[in-house]
Amino acid sequence: MKQLFGLNKFILILISVVSFSSCQKVVNIDLNSSAPQIVIEGEVSDQPGPYTVVLTKTVNYDQSNTFPPVQGASVTINDDAGNSELLIEASPGVYKTINLQGVVGRTYTLNVVADNKDYQAVSKLNSPVNIDTLDAENASGFGGGGGGGGNSGPKSKVVIAKFTDPIGIVNYYRFMESINGITTTSINITSDNLRDGTLIEQRLRTNSDVKILPFDSVSIQLRSIDFGVFEYFRTFNRTGGGAFNSSTPANPSSNISNGALGYFSAYSVKSKSIVIQ
Amino acid sequence: MKKITVFIICLCCSLMGTAQTAKFTISGYVKDAKTGEEIIGANVSIKELAATGVNTNAYGFYSITIPAGKYTVQAQYIGYSIHLDTIDLKQNTKIDFLLTEKINQLNEIVVTSERKDENVTSIQMGVNKLDIQQIKNIPVLFGEKDILKTLSLLPGVKSAGEGSSGFYVRGGSADQNLILLDEATVYNASHLLGFFSVFNSDAIKDVTLFKGSQPAEYGGRLSSVLDIKMKDGNDKHYIVSGGVGIISSRLNLEGPIVKNKGSFIISARRTYADLFLKLSRDSATRQARLYFYDVNAKANYKLNDKNRLYLSGYFGKDVLGFGSTFGINWGNATGTLRLNHLFNEKLFSNTSLLFTNYDYKINANFGGNPLDIISRIQDYGINEDFQYFVNTKNKIKFGLTSTFHKIIPGAITSSSNSPISKLHLDNKYAWESAIYASHEIKVTELFNIEYGVRLSSFSLIGPGSFHTYDTEGNILDTSTYSSGQFVKTYYNLQPRLSANYILNERNSIKVSYGRNTQNLHLISNSTSGNPTDLWIPSSNNVKPEICDQVSLGYFKNIKDNMYEFSTEVYYKTMQNQVDYKDGAQLNLNANIESQLLYGIGRAYGIEVYFKKKYGRLNGWIGYTLARTEKQINGINNTNWYPAKQDRTHDVSIVIIYDLSKKWTVSATWVYYTGNAVTFPSGKYMVAGQVVNYYTERNGYRMPAYHRLDLGATWQGKKTDKYETSWNFSVYNAYGRENAYSITFKQDPNDPTKTQAVQTTLFRWVPSLTFNFKF
Repeated sequence: MKQLFGLNKFILILISVVSFSSCQKVVNIDLNSSAPQIVIEGEVSDQPGPYTVVLTKTVNYDQSNTFPPVQGASVTINDDAGNSELLIEASPGVYKTINLQGVVGRTYTLNVVADNKDYQAVSKLNSPVNIDTLDAENASGFGGGGGGGGNSGPKSKVVIAKFTDPIGIVNYYRFMESINGITTTSINITSDNLRDGTLIEQRLRTNSDVKILPFDSVSIQLRSIDFGVFEYFRTFNRTGGGAFNSSTPANPSSNISNGALGYFSAYSVKSKSIVIQ
Repeated sequence: MKKITVFIICLCCSLMGTAQTAKFTISGYVKDAKTGEEIIGANVSIKELAATGVNTNAYGFYSITIPAGKYTVQAQYIGYSIHLDTIDLKQNTKIDFLLTEKINQLNEIVVTSERKDENVTSIQMGVNKLDIQQIKNIPVLFGEKDILKTLSLLPGVKSAGEGSSGFYVRGGSADQNLILLDEATVYNASHLLGFFSVFNSDAIKDVTLFKGSQPAEYGGRLSSVLDIKMKDGNDKHYIVSGGVGIISSRLNLEGPIVKNKGSFIISARRTYADLFLKLSRDSATRQARLYFYDVNAKANYKLNDKNRLYLSGYFGKDVLGFGSTFGINWGNATGTLRLNHLFNEKLFSNTSLLFTNYDYKINANFGGNPLDIISRIQDYGINEDFQYFVNTKNKIKFGLTSTFHKIIPGAITSSSNSPISKLHLDNKYAWESAIYASHEIKVTELFNIEYGVRLSSFSLIGPGSFHTYDTEGNILDTSTYSSGQFVKTYYNLQPRLSANYILNERNSIKVSYGRNTQNLHLISNSTSGNPTDLWIPSSNNVKPEICDQVSLGYFKNIKDNMYEFSTEVYYKTMQNQVDYKDGAQLNLNANIESQLLYGIGRAYGIEVYFKKKYGRLNGWIGYTLARTEKQINGINNTNWYPAKQDRTHDVSIVIIYDLSKKWTVSATWVYYTGNAVTFPSGKYMVAGQVVNYYTERNGYRMPAYHRLDLGATWQGKKTDKYETSWNFSVYNAYGRENAYSITFKQDPNDPTKTQAVQTTLFRWVPSLTFNFKF
């Protein structure tokens, strides 16, 4: 649904045409510094562990992109079946499970104690959904995946994942795309809103610097996520501070308590691969 | 309600009781001698009697009641010769004035206001009238003269920025302006996502903006009323006029239906910017559609001396599209049917039936599944207004208004075999009514007061299910109502007061207070306004917005009214302001009210206006120093923070100079503090991406904006039959790179760093327009 209202690209075309004199330049903006804030990124899945929880901190905007790890924190994950595990710090800021195995249908709770503050998040591990087929088509300039349209080089492709949504229950999905073994960072999510129980075709948007070309091997993970994680990524996409007509920039709405940034996601996975023709 | 009626009746009786000596009424219309158009706001006065001046109303009607005797009656208006008539008043008398426009304005002192000293003597403050003639000479983007953009050059009125025809009045947001076209509400005043306004100035007769306390006949929005009246058309000759510009053209046709009894006017515009798209090298851009058109039409017919009928309408459409994959079109339509009826020389009435429609339609076809989304707001209304000209000291206005609103928040339709199911959010129905009365009284020759009251009601009507929400946005309770059942009704009493104390001929002090309420709220999650922004009615969750404003002003005329100076201070408090949560889902959301947050607002400032009215060199300087703040539960820890439209300084300078009989040159310069904006104060890594970290909403400022525009008009040969002119302009003459947006992204040369990128829209935009009339 989002792309229906994604007038942004159109407005860009409009502006570049109407205002033949528009231009962009890098400017110096004097931004405030901010007190470092904890960032938590944790996952549990139906695949074999270990599962990882990464703790880092924010830095000021003018600093380089190295984010200090949060060390010596107490990180536990427990489920609603009475299992509980204290994670060990495998490397600075990276905490891993040893025995825990994610099980479909269970609800997982993450507890983090760091710098004398408690953070908690809850996520449910929903049932997996199979990908029926993967297809690829030329990226159009508008309304589909990024990267396409331009006149330079060979046409980039977009991958379309087709799957049958289970009827009668609300489902939320996140797609992970790997091109020749390298996982891209684009956020692709969807839900079965307005199309419960139907065959869903999802065009997977890529960032403009990613190109999918013939003979590339692309593998897609279809992750069944819960509402809290879906909301995190939905607001992540919306509030990132885009250029035109976007909503007022804000931090994504996290499912973690006490003001922490990031998310905690339990999910199940089904995968499929395709070699682009 | 009863109390008010009784009050009015008592008032009328007491006023009539004073009329004991033999008094008679002079009444009639003031018109343009050449076109037959009624003149709004022309001044009619009795030379022998001080302080008898009255202004013609919106239909050019005036009425003066004075004792029997011999008098000289005079009528005057902007740029027209004064017309005098002597009369021996023994009975009620009808006098129509035909005023002649002064053709050669050069080197001549011309009356450029209703009355030379209107600034000082009128009771109104916080009112701006735009002179349509003057708009022609002010340079604008693409040479398309635009009343909304010209309005933003006045103090207290701020442009919402480039790429937006929205405007902010005294700290109010863009949706808090009531925009009326022949009394019908215009919900979206933008064409092409805001680069143009929907008002074709060829079809416009009169533009008045009320930014302070509004007269009691207006209501429904918090900040201002922009009252736009269409031309009636020439009732003597057929005239064709128009203009050809770089990206748009206009054509205007007017003439008599029956000579001196009725006339019509039709004005149309079409842009052709999309032709440029076809020239693009990019195949994607070549497929784009992008244009708008609009039509204004009006007809009037004088049934007899006491009755006159008007029918007017507007229709406009914007079309954006991209091949067969995506299209959006939107537009306004308004219709007004009016009957002016004169009960007698003193009692004037107008009855209007009104219709307004605003809708947008999106069609999309991704992956072979076409679907349509529509959304619409429709109004059906009636206005009944009375003006009672009691005597030269008292004037009473009263009336009622009633409007039925129908809102379709969003509906999806798709082909029957499409996997996407249909969705139809519940239609919303509301009924909004008001009664009002006001009394303008000249207490002494130097002290005038206008006071009034407006009682409004707003009812949300079934059918439908209506939820109540907790502060988290979870549904607490649901009630179902059947068709026509009242879900929630709000009554609001809105007192209004303006007073003017004339210190002497050249100086006066004015004060005003007014309360306004607003029951339709625009929910917009975009920074500049989208056609898809949604109007929602007050409901069991959303309360009416209320604003109280006090203002105080000092008005001075200098050098025989050649210069006009005024300064006003204002303070506003606003209740029940609506905002939305971070990342709110607003489109096609059945529970949209769960995404909203509520709070209060305040705005205060000082405006200074200095104008040179006559001479070869004329123009004005406006300056505003202001602050606008909000306090919303759940935003910035519920602390006060600057609203987006908060601008500390705002300066406009407009200069028009008549170089010769052929050439007029003009320049405008604007400067304003950048809008309050949200920038990141840090960053972090999540999901493999570097993400901005925000600590507060609107904690930063965009860079200051300034711009110089230059224009020149060359008047070709002008005869009674034929007239041409060329208009040249340069927008942003010194090429200032004003920031349209600033975004933060990864440095392409150093992935370990991030940078701020500023986008500028317009630098040096020249334009050329050819205008003709025959």
